[in-house]
Amino acid sequence: MGNLLHAIIEGAKAAIQSIFAHAMRSALTTLGIIIGVAAVITVVAVMEGLSSNISKELDDMGSDMVTLRAFTSPDQQMLGLSNKLNYDDFLQLKAKTDGVRDMTATMTAFSLGGSVTYGRKSTQTMITGTDSSYQNVVSTYPEFGRFLSQSDDLRRRRVAIVGTSVIKKLDMPANPVGEFINLSGDWFRIIGVAESRGQMFGFDQDNYIIAPFSTIRSLKGASATDNIDILFRPETDADLKGIQDQMRQILRKRHKLSGDDPDYFEFITAEKTRKQFDSITGSVTFVAAGVVGISLLVGGIGIMNIMLVSVTERTKEIGIAKALGATPQFILSQFLIEALLLSLFGGVIGLLLGYGLAALVGLSMPGAGAVTVPMWAIWLSFGFTTTIGVVFGLAPAVKAAKLNPVDALRYE
Amino acid sequence: MSEPTNKASNEPVISLSNITKHYPMADETFYALQNVNLTINANEYVAITGPSGSGKSTLMNILGCLDPASSGEYRLDDQNVASHSEAYLATLRNQAVGFIFQSFNLLPRASVLTNVMQPLVYRLMSGSSRKKMALEALDRVGLSDKVNSLPNQLSGGQRQRVAIARALVTNPAIILGDEPTGNLDSKTTLEIMALFDQLHAQGHTIILVTHEQEIADHCHRVVRLVDGQIESDRLNQRAKPSQETPPQDQTKQVMHG
Repeated sequence: MGNLLHAIIEGAKAAIQSIFAHAMRSALTTLGIIIGVAAVITVVAVMEGLSSNISKELDDMGSDMVTLRAFTSPDQQMLGLSNKLNYDDFLQLKAKTDGVRDMTATMTAFSLGGSVTYGRKSTQTMITGTDSSYQNVVSTYPEFGRFLSQSDDLRRRRVAIVGTSVIKKLDMPANPVGEFINLSGDWFRIIGVAESRGQMFGFDQDNYIIAPFSTIRSLKGASATDNIDILFRPETDADLKGIQDQMRQILRKRHKLSGDDPDYFEFITAEKTRKQFDSITGSVTFVAAGVVGISLLVGGIGIMNIMLVSVTERTKEIGIAKALGATPQFILSQFLIEALLLSLFGGVIGLLLGYGLAALVGLSMPGAGAVTVPMWAIWLSFGFTTTIGVVFGLAPAVKAAKLNPVDALRYE
Repeated sequence: MSEPTNKASNEPVISLSNITKHYPMADETFYALQNVNLTINANEYVAITGPSGSGKSTLMNILGCLDPASSGEYRLDDQNVASHSEAYLATLRNQAVGFIFQSFNLLPRASVLTNVMQPLVYRLMSGSSRKKMALEALDRVGLSDKVNSLPNQLSGGQRQRVAIARALVTNPAIILGDEPTGNLDSKTTLEIMALFDQLHAQGHTIILVTHEQEIADHCHRVVRLVDGQIESDRLNQRAKPSQETPPQDQTKQVMHG
């Protein structure tokens, strides 16, 4: 054990001398490892940042909010079908489902073209029709003025809540309550400004207008083709699965679906969104891991190559060392440590570089969130670089250790 | 100053019996050495000579434990060298043999001190005692003032002195020189030979492989190889005495294998 430790310490000294004697070559050799580790750290850091940001956004959005919307299976799409949820579905669900605290219907007024005008300015936005429950379900409350009331809906008032981006785009006063905007020819009075929701994935979350459901519906001409989304929030401690089952039965019965027919609607929960996002994160990480793996493999081969060159170059030196009493184990550990240190140097530089790149990405990409390098990524990088150093350093080190001293001494 | 080998002068340090070394060639076997028997006692001063191709270098490699013999028995410092692992031979080289090469074989990027300390690196030894021993060895070859120089800042003679200090530092049973003055001019050759004479006088066992008669003349015993066999093994009565060498009759006790 003492012998081994001694060999390791002396081997490390010799290795460090050798690495710095060829500083440029060592730097180029470790480039593959540097790039590989920098890539893995950058990707992991950015993904972690995005992930924690998404979790935060999902929490802000109200993680217990569930969206129920029409779903058309690929088979049905092939047949030219397009499933829809209508207002009667909403009324039935609202009347018959237990355990729901708030439920609202929203309708996106595509027929209005999404164009809004104020004075001489006009812009594109998303116009949604909904009712007074919306603010409780989505947790969006007015910053100025008020939200929709039940009477707005009953009387089909032409009133609107605007998001903060709309105010900016249309050059409206900071508090535009009482101003009038024009939605495709119809005038609406602004009664409130919704508090800002910021950005998610770099998308503006404040570019929208909300108007009473019945008003939007009447402007669309009360057609039977309206498609709505139903948003609800279950009571605290309610059995979400049970609620979904109730709703499923009500809707399937209304549409007279038999046992084998697929649902024409789907529930989207925060949990589901999170899972979808996680699966995206997973795929990105998987692809990145592949690229990084290849890069590290190439880096490892680079190290092996340079170590083989180094063994050949230093054949005479190895011969002298052997003549003076260096055991094969000593020579082996010396070259193995050199490969290991090269790899680890690459790992450390790659780590710092990766951290810097991730910070840069975090600054330039909105929605990336706070870039953090998790401990496991650091350990993984070091584990990987150590393994690569040992695996790819082994062949040259064995070659050096096995050199015949007589031949090595004769080598010029 | 470290003590030379503590063996009595009539005890054998090296004993070769029936040593044969052969290499497989294309369709025959080439015998570099055939049935060589040789005993060398402590504090002997031996030259191994012969024309090129006579097997000098092969014998030197076997004596230095760099290369195993094909058959026969070799005892160095009472240890059987044959049938041992490379790791064991490395340790034996480190402890019992001091090598001096024609081309010095110093590490070019390392200082004189580091070069002399190198054999001690392969022993479990602290840095400070390594340095102490290396400085002592450099003092013995008269290079105390060149400790921090690099080999390429030294003359050929000085480089060979560094190599001799490196051979001495482990206090080996034998000092083995392979054409140690082959790369030196005649004046430096004399200096180096005087140093060998001096080391011999201090009790070291010295074996020099050479094809130069002048060098052989310094030694007290000359073994001549021809075609892989010992042609002659004689005491050199005309050995040029170094001024420090006290007259001794030890060479008469040489045992002829």
